[in-house]
Amino acid sequence: MSEVSLTWNQTVKGITEFIEVAIHTILYVRQIYPADLFVRRKKYDTPVFQSRHPALNEYISGTVKAVADELVLGNVDKVVVVIKDNNQVALERFIFSIQNMIEVESYNKDTSVQDAMSSAKLGQYFRSFLIKLNMIESQLGLLELPSGDEASFAVVLELKDNTAPSASKDKDPPPWVPADLQHTTSGASKEAQLHLLRAVDTGIINISLAVQESEEKLQLGKASDDSANDIKGKGKDKTE
Amino acid sequence: MVKPLRSSVSTDSLDLWGPDDPAFLEALGNAVLPGDENARIPAPQPDAETMSRKRSRDESDELQAEMTSHATLANGLGDTEGDPEIYGASRFGHFGEYMCRKRAKLQIQNANLEASRDVGGKSKILSGLSIYINGWTNPSVQDLRQLIVTHGGVFQPYLDKKSLVTHIITCSLTAAKIKDWKHMKIVRPEWLVDSAAAGTLLPWRNYIFKPGGRVEQSQGADTPQNYLSMDPRLASGYSSRDIEQPLLVGHVPATPVSNTPAVATIEAAFSTSYSPRPLHVTDPGTHEDAARVPGYAAHTSNLLAERVMANPEWRAAHTSVAPDFIEGFYKNSRLHYLSIWKAELKKLVQQAHEEVENGLQESVSAMRDLQATTKDGDNNMERARLVTESPSKRKGKEKALGLKRVIMHCDFDCFFVSVGLLSHPELRGKPVVVCHSQDGTGGTSSTSEIASSSYEARSFGIKNGMSLQQGRRLCPDLRTIPYEFEKYKQLSLRFYTILMRHADDIQAVSVDEALIEVTTSVSRCAIRPSSLAFPNDPAKSLAEQIRSEVRDATGCEVSIGIAENIQLARIATRKAKPAGSFHLKSEDVQEVLAPLDIDDLHGFGHSTRQKAHEKLGATNLGQLAKKSKAALCDALGKSNGETLYNAIRGIDERKLESDKPRRSVSCDINYGIRFENNDQAKAFIYQMAEEVSRRLTAIDMCGRSLTLKIMKRDPSAPAEASKFMGHGICETFNKQTPLSSANSRTTSNPKDIGDHAWKLLNSWGFDPKELRGVGIQIQKLEMTSASNTTDPGQVKLAFQVKSSTTAPDNPEQDDLGIPRIVTDPPSQDDPPQNESHLVDLPSFSQVDRDVFDALPEDVRRELELEYQRRSRSPMPEVRPSPDVRPKIIVKGVNVKRITQQLAPKNRTILSPRKNMLFAKRDGPSHMRVSEAELRKLGIDPDVFAVLPVHLQREQLIMTRHAKSGRLLEERKIIKASGRSPSVPYRKKPPPQAKHPQPPLLKQQGKQPGEKLYFTETGDVLTVIESWVKGFTDYPPNQRDVDYFSKFLVQSVESADTGMEKTIAVMKWWLVLLRRSWDVYERSTEDGGGSSAESIGRTWWKAFREVKAKVDIAARRRFGGSLSLK
Repeated sequence: MSEVSLTWNQTVKGITEFIEVAIHTILYVRQIYPADLFVRRKKYDTPVFQSRHPALNEYISGTVKAVADELVLGNVDKVVVVIKDNNQVALERFIFSIQNMIEVESYNKDTSVQDAMSSAKLGQYFRSFLIKLNMIESQLGLLELPSGDEASFAVVLELKDNTAPSASKDKDPPPWVPADLQHTTSGASKEAQLHLLRAVDTGIINISLAVQESEEKLQLGKASDDSANDIKGKGKDKTE
Repeated sequence: MVKPLRSSVSTDSLDLWGPDDPAFLEALGNAVLPGDENARIPAPQPDAETMSRKRSRDESDELQAEMTSHATLANGLGDTEGDPEIYGASRFGHFGEYMCRKRAKLQIQNANLEASRDVGGKSKILSGLSIYINGWTNPSVQDLRQLIVTHGGVFQPYLDKKSLVTHIITCSLTAAKIKDWKHMKIVRPEWLVDSAAAGTLLPWRNYIFKPGGRVEQSQGADTPQNYLSMDPRLASGYSSRDIEQPLLVGHVPATPVSNTPAVATIEAAFSTSYSPRPLHVTDPGTHEDAARVPGYAAHTSNLLAERVMANPEWRAAHTSVAPDFIEGFYKNSRLHYLSIWKAELKKLVQQAHEEVENGLQESVSAMRDLQATTKDGDNNMERARLVTESPSKRKGKEKALGLKRVIMHCDFDCFFVSVGLLSHPELRGKPVVVCHSQDGTGGTSSTSEIASSSYEARSFGIKNGMSLQQGRRLCPDLRTIPYEFEKYKQLSLRFYTILMRHADDIQAVSVDEALIEVTTSVSRCAIRPSSLAFPNDPAKSLAEQIRSEVRDATGCEVSIGIAENIQLARIATRKAKPAGSFHLKSEDVQEVLAPLDIDDLHGFGHSTRQKAHEKLGATNLGQLAKKSKAALCDALGKSNGETLYNAIRGIDERKLESDKPRRSVSCDINYGIRFENNDQAKAFIYQMAEEVSRRLTAIDMCGRSLTLKIMKRDPSAPAEASKFMGHGICETFNKQTPLSSANSRTTSNPKDIGDHAWKLLNSWGFDPKELRGVGIQIQKLEMTSASNTTDPGQVKLAFQVKSSTTAPDNPEQDDLGIPRIVTDPPSQDDPPQNESHLVDLPSFSQVDRDVFDALPEDVRRELELEYQRRSRSPMPEVRPSPDVRPKIIVKGVNVKRITQQLAPKNRTILSPRKNMLFAKRDGPSHMRVSEAELRKLGIDPDVFAVLPVHLQREQLIMTRHAKSGRLLEERKIIKASGRSPSVPYRKKPPPQAKHPQPPLLKQQGKQPGEKLYFTETGDVLTVIESWVKGFTDYPPNQRDVDYFSKFLVQSVESADTGMEKTIAVMKWWLVLLRRSWDVYERSTEDGGGSSAESIGRTWWKAFREVKAKVDIAARRRFGGSLSLK
């Protein structure tokens, strides 16, 4: 089962597949869309939720494909699913951090990489990713927005320094547009809180998933917390 | 004649062209079509309009148009000279018009030609014919054209429309053209020449062009220059000789030789006089042979045979299916007897020689024995021991030096007939033939082969090998006499006895034919020339003496040719016949040889003659004598060419082959082979195997190789050959296999032979119904006795018998005194079934030098060394060990070693399949690439689709790289990032995974100098726990804190998994701290307070310090700070 280690192409494929599954799951667990829009499926031996909305699915798969195209080139640093509010302010950032460990010659893309992780093992890791993701509410709490606010999401691709998305088809420009600074890692404030969910070291492309709560969200939460905890706070003070 | 034609054609054309073309109809009416020779009515001059209308039309009516123009031009020239429609310039893009005009012009030219020769009675024999001449012909195209035109034919210079042409004249065709024109009438130029000479149109079918021999011979092999440069004197002599050759009645002359007046000027004409020799067999095996057999209908089935074969009972009783078929076949086969006798004779001769060599003296008494035995009617020649009478002949094989060799070729005159006449004296002087079919049976349609014919019969043109039917046609009162095999044998034996008495050496050619070397006898005779019949020619005297002796002994005439070598002696015999002797003296050799043809020489047959004709342009020895040796070798092959070169000069170094060892034993049956299914075929093969086995046993031989020869009905041949139950025209197949018994020794076992033969036959997978002949031949013979005494494939060293010195104790081992050579069996040999494996080299004297020389250099050297070693080593002493046979242990000569040495030495050590580098682990089973993309890349999608996946990928990648350097560029960027070392293309081991090196948490061990390393999260947690627990009463050392924080920061920096670890550790640390100093978590001020408080504060301070450092590290990657919630 674990004898045959992954090839480069398998790893890329596995990661993009995982990202797609994870995006669906994120949208479900963070309740970006109504829960009944999702259908429960099994992936990586664990229940996952997949959107049933064709347009959404198309958007996600298109995005992931574009991600995959860049991933193959080895330029990707992070893929970030940004949960934002009406004002396009990032509240949570689900960060898939990619680390290319090796470079593989084109003729070796389907050669199994020595000492690398096996595909079955990677699947088990992804299961643990997803379990953690499903449990994310325990860490982040419900995504509470002021009434009338609708959360939305975006996918931000962060490349290595000094690179730009270059995988394009048929002379079309790459399907990416410059991101809002606040949505990006460099735009994350010092106060942003990072929860590392899981990391895996495949030996070929390492990936980790972390959630970052933006300062704005924390402020928002604090504000509501403050208002809600006014009484509590007093109590706290008392104890102190 | 014209009217109906017109109407019928016009109705056709009406359908096609509509009724509005009166000019065409008119032209059509004037056309002279092939076949209507007398329809040459004066045609009205076609006006210009007619012509133009015609040309503008489709080419399908150009035939008529062409004919018209010819017909008209032939009758009235003049006017057309200025015809602009013919001589005008053709418009651009009207190639059809151009060709049409060209043809018309040429026809005008032809008509001119005709007119110029037209004096008086114009020959019309070729009228109506439209002839195209292809390639080089003899006579030349120009001459033929003239010939055609003068005799009223139409000469077509182009074959762009086959429908225009009625006949094609050619001397040679390429394979492609043969195929292309297979439905056309292709005729040799002789047809025209002969027709012209005869003054009438001969049937063209007699001159059908047959592609001769292999195709490549027609390409460049025919060099006409040879003919042209030849001396006309010789040429005329040559052709006249051919004319003299008797033509057979009832056989249409296929190649007329007389030059017609029309082409009389052509010098090269004599080359057409080359005629394939008529072959006289009743059942030719190939198309070429069949073509040479006069009157052989290659394509007609034998109706009688077909009828009979339809009857299953008859089939079962008379064909190869019949249980006793083989026996019956051999009982009646003349050739079989001949071959059996020949084998016996040879053996006899050999024995006689051996005895002479051994100096054993037995004299006339032996002869008397022989006489007695033969008189007893015991025909087994084996019993008769032929012994030479004089010790002077001991020289035997050693050539009598100083004396000129004298070879006699003794040949009975029509042996079978002569013998038959002994018992039928009343038939003497009449045309008699010997054959199976007798007067009473077979009737006039007998296909029985004439084995021998009397000189009287020969004068009717009957030849040996003809069928009786043909013979009867030539000579209606031909008498037949049956075979008398027993008698032949008797007389043959007497014949040989006499020859033996005079010969130094003898070569048994066949029952009725022998070559003897009589050098010593002749020289003895020469001593007293006075007593000779021919005082000047002792050899001839001796010959006459032998002749009279044979005549007395057998009652039959022998002809003897005398010469100094075998070849010449054979030629001399021709001169000697019938019933005479002829001494061909060396000074006459050239004169006698010059007029002869190549196939008059022994050893040169039809095929050589044909080759010589094709490549050298001559088959006459006189002409060939002028060729250089190199030219002959070029044309006929090295050995053949040399032999011929020498033979022409009367040189023949061959020795008599009295002791030529038997090379093979075979059994061929190609008569009556008609199987219906594989079982029958199989049973028959096994029967034949028995027969072969019987023959092998008879001469005490075993074989190591088996050849199966199969004749299969040629697809074009009828199911039943012309010869009743014969094989007809066949395709022949040969296959050879090593033969060995189950325990891998040479064998004569019928079952082994049958098994091997059947396996071979099966491997072809022929339809058993198509089989017409089966032959099994066993080669690589070994004496059975020899092969039985030793183990398979092993030869015993020929040591002297020294057993007398060592009398073995055990009387049963009496014969075991010879030291055994015991070899260490080659290790990879199968486990010894026998008690030992005897393998060794034969003694050096017994080594076949030819084989030895043919061995590869290194093997030979090895053997030589081995022999040298042995010659040096003393004769192995026979140790007087009573119970064990003396043994000489010799290192086994492993045959495999020799084959290994023959194997290529630079074989790759790694087979690509085993190489990990190229191993394909698991990838997609096919490449998903759109056809459009492939096309864009210039790859044929069809080809691409059939490639294996890894090749597809490789191809795709290479092409993409070639098309755009983009991928490469981007890879460079990656390289620039320094993540992985750049690796030269194509020389890479499989990619190696890179795992981040986790930082180590080092700790002093219990023993000094011992270091403990922790990397796993769990271990680190334990360390932290013990650290925190160890410092509950004391504040942590700043050094420890720094050290710890360094580890955690490194972890974060190393990888995300490291960060995971750091977070886990920090969280655990947090838990630990909260357990002990929860209350002090939020207080930052460094108040004095209790020691516990200060310790707690210090811990929290350390924690925050570390957390800040870790956050900074994490921020670089993710921004923000770590949450330890």
